[in-house]
Amino acid sequence: MKIFINFGKGFMTTGKTTKMVLFLFLINLLFSLILAIPMYNSLKNSLGTSEAGNRMAESFDYIWWEEFRDEAQGLETTFAPSIIGKGAILTNLESLFQMRFFSAPPLLIGFGLLYIILHTFLAGGILSTFNQDEPRFAVKAFLQGAGSHFLRFFALMLFSWLFLFVIGAFLHDALLPIIYDISSDSYSEVIPFLLMLALSAITLFLLLFIQMVFDYARIKVVLEDENNILKATGKAFRFVFKRPFSTLGLFYLIFFLNIAVTVIYILVKEIIPQSDVLTVLSAFFLQQLFIFALIWIRCLLYASQWELYRYLK
Amino acid sequence: MFKKYQALSFILALLFFLLPAASQETFCKQIANYTMDVTLDTEAKMIKATEVLSWTNDTGYSTNELWFHLYWNAFQNNMSTFLAEAERRGRSVSGLKKDDWGYCRVESIKVVANPYFQEYDLMPFLEFRYPDVENLYDQTVFSARLPDAVGPGQTILLRIEFESKIPRPISRTGVYKDYYFIAQWFPKIGVFQDGRWNCHQYHSASEYFADYGTYDVRITLPSSFVVGATGEHREKIDNGDGTATHHFYQHSVHEFAWTASPRFLEYTENYEFTPGKQTEITLLLQPEHKRLKDRYLNAVKNAIKYSSLFYGDYPYSTATCVDPAYNSRSGGMEYPTFFTGGAYFLTWKGIPSPEGVTIHEFGHGYFYGLVGTNEFENAWMDEGFTSFLDTEIYYTAYGEPLYNRSFFGIPVTFKDVKIPIESDGISSHRQTYNMDVIQRFAWEFLEGGSYGANSYSKAELMLRTLKRFMGEDVFARMIKTYSRRNWFKHPKPPDFFRVVSEFAGRDMSWFLDQFVYGSDKLDYAIGNISSQKEKKREGWFDGEYIKREIETNRYLSEVIVRRLGEVKLPVEVLIVFEDGNEVRETWDGQYRWKRFVYQQPSRIQKAVVDPEFKLVLDINRTNNSQMRKPNRLAPLKWISNWLVWLQHALEFFTILGG
Repeated sequence: MKIFINFGKGFMTTGKTTKMVLFLFLINLLFSLILAIPMYNSLKNSLGTSEAGNRMAESFDYIWWEEFRDEAQGLETTFAPSIIGKGAILTNLESLFQMRFFSAPPLLIGFGLLYIILHTFLAGGILSTFNQDEPRFAVKAFLQGAGSHFLRFFALMLFSWLFLFVIGAFLHDALLPIIYDISSDSYSEVIPFLLMLALSAITLFLLLFIQMVFDYARIKVVLEDENNILKATGKAFRFVFKRPFSTLGLFYLIFFLNIAVTVIYILVKEIIPQSDVLTVLSAFFLQQLFIFALIWIRCLLYASQWELYRYLK
Repeated sequence: MFKKYQALSFILALLFFLLPAASQETFCKQIANYTMDVTLDTEAKMIKATEVLSWTNDTGYSTNELWFHLYWNAFQNNMSTFLAEAERRGRSVSGLKKDDWGYCRVESIKVVANPYFQEYDLMPFLEFRYPDVENLYDQTVFSARLPDAVGPGQTILLRIEFESKIPRPISRTGVYKDYYFIAQWFPKIGVFQDGRWNCHQYHSASEYFADYGTYDVRITLPSSFVVGATGEHREKIDNGDGTATHHFYQHSVHEFAWTASPRFLEYTENYEFTPGKQTEITLLLQPEHKRLKDRYLNAVKNAIKYSSLFYGDYPYSTATCVDPAYNSRSGGMEYPTFFTGGAYFLTWKGIPSPEGVTIHEFGHGYFYGLVGTNEFENAWMDEGFTSFLDTEIYYTAYGEPLYNRSFFGIPVTFKDVKIPIESDGISSHRQTYNMDVIQRFAWEFLEGGSYGANSYSKAELMLRTLKRFMGEDVFARMIKTYSRRNWFKHPKPPDFFRVVSEFAGRDMSWFLDQFVYGSDKLDYAIGNISSQKEKKREGWFDGEYIKREIETNRYLSEVIVRRLGEVKLPVEVLIVFEDGNEVRETWDGQYRWKRFVYQQPSRIQKAVVDPEFKLVLDINRTNNSQMRKPNRLAPLKWISNWLVWLQHALEFFTILGG
């Protein structure tokens, strides 16, 4: 019941700060456009005045894409049919949970890292906005809040990487060799498939768990003005371990909401043909709506966790 | 004593009954005939066998030595030519245990008395040979000096005792748990051609070459094992001691391979591929692939049906498809009437697995099996032809496959992305075209990628280009004729060239030489298109003086077609004008470029060089066309898809922010 009460409260709070979500969405969009513009130029130059342009406008010209891929450098190597619709989501899921992101182009890795730091900065603003009697979004106050918490949030981020590193090392150096051993002695490919799937599920659980714990650490920093990040983290762990059903329940409720939104997006996207100006625009609108929804859900997560923390404390 | 009597009576039977019968009932001369009694020791992973070989010198030359392959000695140490080459290509075999290595040892080899020869022990006259690479650690070829020469038309009979240690699967053959895949496993005589022995060492990148003959093989092994092999499974005798003996027989083939495992699910069907002609299909399936049974069987049926149609009716009474065990490294290999497929347990409609590999390996039953090319020396003539065969059959039977990618081990198809036949092999060709020529000994390519790209992809692309260049009907008749004419023979490139020229009605070496012996690129492009209003006329025109024309309704348009590569082929050019008018031109492609000029009432809309996409070897298709107005929607559409992927990635990866 606690889960649903605080989910509801979080929902209301996020609803009241939709402007903030819009602000975060615009940052995501503008940040992405920095890379999208050179990518757009690459596509435009490669298609040029060729008839391949017509075919790519109508559907997908596989022959053109193979030529583009064979010449691709850096960021261009990320353009593939596998980023269409559901592929975009699956590519990202796999990159993270099978730790394949290290093989991404260095520019993209660097850019992603910058965005994570930016996100750390913005998280301060989000929580400051919620830390008002009547949460309302104002850019100045948001940025002030973000700035005032940034150093502590940044330290928390670095500290969380220590945990992620330990998890990564454990999974990669301890579990993966065992899976390889079992696989190399296996009768069928079903065994390694299931083991790798289990490993991905374990990775998913651990990464999300760490994220959740550090969400509470950040909440603690803002709400209780805690300066000691070790203390904040320790207390966040204690908070979560003391109330695993509430904290994990709330987290996974929102996680599944995220999945539901993603599935709806994929299904709707599948039926938009993207073969003329109108459908391309419709798809673009849908895509941006989807990203907006994801950011909204991220804020919902913060707001609900914020409410739960206050409720239980 | 009893054994000796048995062997002698057997040999006599072979001499006086089998050989005359064979010449009447078989499809071709039976040059290398093997009768083998084989025992598989599943505890020691050993094979013990007796091989009676009858070999006929079918040439006009005499020989006083016999050369043999001992392929499995490639797996007896890390210094063999095969493993040294494999290691150079990045495949390490370090860490193998004593039991993992394999070998084939001849324990006795004797000439058996017959009307031409006295009984004679050849053991003192054996010598390891290194015809390709001087490597004293390599024991994959040996010769035996004879007391008397084998003259033209004479037949020599040998009795060979050998034992083979079955390797852990390193490549193509071996044992994995209780799955045995046994290929190229016995002392196998080379091919005596033009007065010399063609018997190459076993190389990492090469396959095989042998003469046709009859294989009559009895394999004894635990009775719980399901067994499949080349040819007809004539009988299974339960020996009453926990073992069974399986008898296989096949004439007019050049290899005998077999497999055994207690886990196989066995399915057999008679398939009438053309009225009055049928063959028995056997599928040996891994239990975890049970749901793929129908897909496998349909793939074999389609392969038989269309191969018969395109290359001549399948002549054998059996076709056995083996679904290889995981980790066995035996997938995707071919042996006469017997081949391995390969599949992942998760596959959906639109994904060409297991169909692609199954059709390919069956197809080798034609190009290598029936058309007995030398895979050591002319790899493209089996791999390229078979790649062409499998792609043509796949697209005919199943249509365009869908692009698919595996996520978390689960294949996902993308219904909007169909893979056209023209894309098959072009990417690897584009990346390696200038590394090698396709006509090269298999082990002499710069690297593995170049061997694959040339032997498989470029040869396939050349055939597809040739098909479109000659026209489908002429090509279909040509390729079927080439196939049928060379069944049970060992054709070389000129044999193929001759048939092409015959059907083209002119010498085609100018075409084929560029691809078979050349490493240049084929790339035609539209260099430029332009349309401008024609100049206003001034002066005398047909006796009429025009001071200055007020207006002109015609456009002066220009198309420049360029040849960016060194390969020269005649090519068509299509010019489309805005009013719908079309002009087709032909250019011989000899010089570097050609300009076409038009005076038309409307502007050019687009120009396309090779509009019918005949030249599938063209490494850049995008530059084959130019439109006067680029399509602005395409980059916008695709950047929006890419953008959302990036936005999602950035948002999603904030998980790493803790």
